[in-house]
Amino acid sequence: MGNVQERKTKSDTEKNEPDLKGTFISVMLVGVFLIVSWVGIYTLFMVR
Amino acid sequence: MHLHKYEKIWLTFGIGSLVIFLVVLAFGAFWQGTHPQSHGVTIDPENIEANDAFKPENLGITKVSDDKYIVNIVATAFNYNLGVDEEGKPVKDIRIPKGSTVLFQVTTKDVVHGFNVAGTNINMMVEPGYISSYETVLDNTGEFTIVCNEYCGVGHHLMFATVEVYE
Repeated sequence: MGNVQERKTKSDTEKNEPDLKGTFISVMLVGVFLIVSWVGIYTLFMVR
Repeated sequence: MHLHKYEKIWLTFGIGSLVIFLVVLAFGAFWQGTHPQSHGVTIDPENIEANDAFKPENLGITKVSDDKYIVNIVATAFNYNLGVDEEGKPVKDIRIPKGSTVLFQVTTKDVVHGFNVAGTNINMMVEPGYISSYETVLDNTGEFTIVCNEYCGVGHHLMFATVEVYE
């Protein structure tokens, strides 16, 4: 009985929560690109 | 309101970066006094000699104190006027010892010019009616070319001079 209940809850959350793993990775890649370019340009400004 | 776990992470990351960048910007502007190179200091383009800095005898490099220099330049189509040497020839190269603090003040009588000391942070627009200035410490030795990087007419590519920073 308990087993069935658990399975039901799990499948419920899976249905409600969209899988955003790909979106998350893409957003973080954009973020990393922005930070890397900002730091790069700032470093160039400081050493010149 | 329900937010996905990942959404919370990237919203925090995004808003956090925005706050950090704004703090950096405010620090530069209000604490270190960073401002655009031409920030509203005006001059009559028809009569630039009225300003002491741009009198013919004050053009070019002037030593103010031990490691402080002022360089006054008038840009015209198609030349940078850096004054004349003892023989009356126009100066095209200026030499500055490494580690000096140099204030560049540039204006123009005619059209918009550029003033870029290639390889350094000195890079500004020169507009008629305004004095563009930039103060910097020249820490790297070498020969740097001053170029006009704002198209000013047919002789645009003929506008150049050099700055030599020596040990």
